[in-house]
Amino acid sequence: MKHAIKILSVLLLTLTMNHSFAQSDDLVNVCALGIGNATYLKDFKVKLPANSPAQKFSVILTKGFVYKFVVCNAEGYEGKAVIQLSEGNNALVSNLKPDGSFAEAVGFSCQKTGMYNIFCSFKNNKEGAAVIIMSYITK
Amino acid sequence: MIQSNSKKDYFYRAKKMNFMNRKISTVLAILIAGGSLLMVNCQGDGSKAKKSDDFAIPDSIFKDKPLMISKEAMNDIIDNISSPVEMAALIKSTGVPFNQKFLAPTNKVDNLDTDFKQALNLGIYGCDLGYLNMYEKTGSIISSMQAIKKLADQLRIGHFFDFNTIKRLATNNENIDSLMYISVSSFNNMDEYLRENNRSNISSLLVTGMWVEGMYLACQVVKESPHDQLVERIGDSKIVLSDLLLILKNYKSNSSFANLVKEIEKIKKEYENVTIQVIPGEPEMVEVDGMLMFKSNEQQIIDISDETLAKIIAAIENARTMIINL
Repeated sequence: MKHAIKILSVLLLTLTMNHSFAQSDDLVNVCALGIGNATYLKDFKVKLPANSPAQKFSVILTKGFVYKFVVCNAEGYEGKAVIQLSEGNNALVSNLKPDGSFAEAVGFSCQKTGMYNIFCSFKNNKEGAAVIIMSYITK
Repeated sequence: MIQSNSKKDYFYRAKKMNFMNRKISTVLAILIAGGSLLMVNCQGDGSKAKKSDDFAIPDSIFKDKPLMISKEAMNDIIDNISSPVEMAALIKSTGVPFNQKFLAPTNKVDNLDTDFKQALNLGIYGCDLGYLNMYEKTGSIISSMQAIKKLADQLRIGHFFDFNTIKRLATNNENIDSLMYISVSSFNNMDEYLRENNRSNISSLLVTGMWVEGMYLACQVVKESPHDQLVERIGDSKIVLSDLLLILKNYKSNSSFANLVKEIEKIKKEYENVTIQVIPGEPEMVEVDGMLMFKSNEQQIIDISDETLAKIIAAIENARTMIINL
């Protein structure tokens, strides 16, 4: 009986994981459609409950490349993703405009190879799920 | 350049496949569970097994030898090793034509009989695939893909590779943008899965193989036609080298890892004379095609002498030779 419960638990876990994995993968696929004249490099999946601190990702960006960051919010969540590209403590660019609206994409012309951080939170600390696609613009 | 319409073809099919996959996943999960039970029962039946390299094990087994850095820091570092696609793009942007002889031979895949050898070489072939895709050499992609599929399957991460779709796209010489997307995202998914499943040791080898091969390709191009941008790229790789060593040293108690660390340390030694200087600039925000773009306007000056460059190239070649001859 114990074995049967264990097997059932594994099955349920596998199915749940497959489902959420497929959902976020769908969003990545759809979001990658919106990168326009750019080449996909990497994606970052973010899912945060309400009042969570921003999630941080570190990336090495290379001198001479123009990077493009596109954000797509998952359906069924109130939160809208706010991303901020930073170098150390210096915020460089964000998709949240001063008037409170969102830019569809933000770019970064990299003049110095090094480590940069991408912070992602949700506006007004709401619960949210989103995908960030990092790509570079083909010259 | 990415063309959204051709990409849509793939994504539409991908979405359809996802729907079917979810249905199939129920049946598969039952089969997998049954299969796992059978495998457990059949252990020790004398079937052909991988050579032991004390490595076909998750990170958790190293409990008595604690990792020097946290799992989070490890993830950060692995994320930081930039994509081989960027190196391939840079090589192509120099106008240097494609060169088949730069690629690693794929005829020795069957000799790779441990997780260690397989993961390192999977990284090598992954980088070569990026180079092939960048130059749209779809004819050569198939043999590269077959090697990748074989190694990924042996490492139990082959399910992230949609071999049939890639093969079809490559054979029909169509949807190059989709081909690039599916190839890169497959590798990203494999890497993500490995790290989420306490197999960062394999992930660290995958990125090391990719890094070494990316550097090797750049070095071969520079040897034939020195190009300032590529030389700079080789020079500024000093930035990631220390991080790469940091993650590899985590597993130094394994003899295979210890040898690899020695080889990468030789590369690091040759980088000692490379200097990187940054002159601050006035940042500006510009709008390009309706997109808000930040430009820092700082200047990064990388000083690397011809002698140092030659030594770095030699060290990279040695490391790459060691890996492909494992």
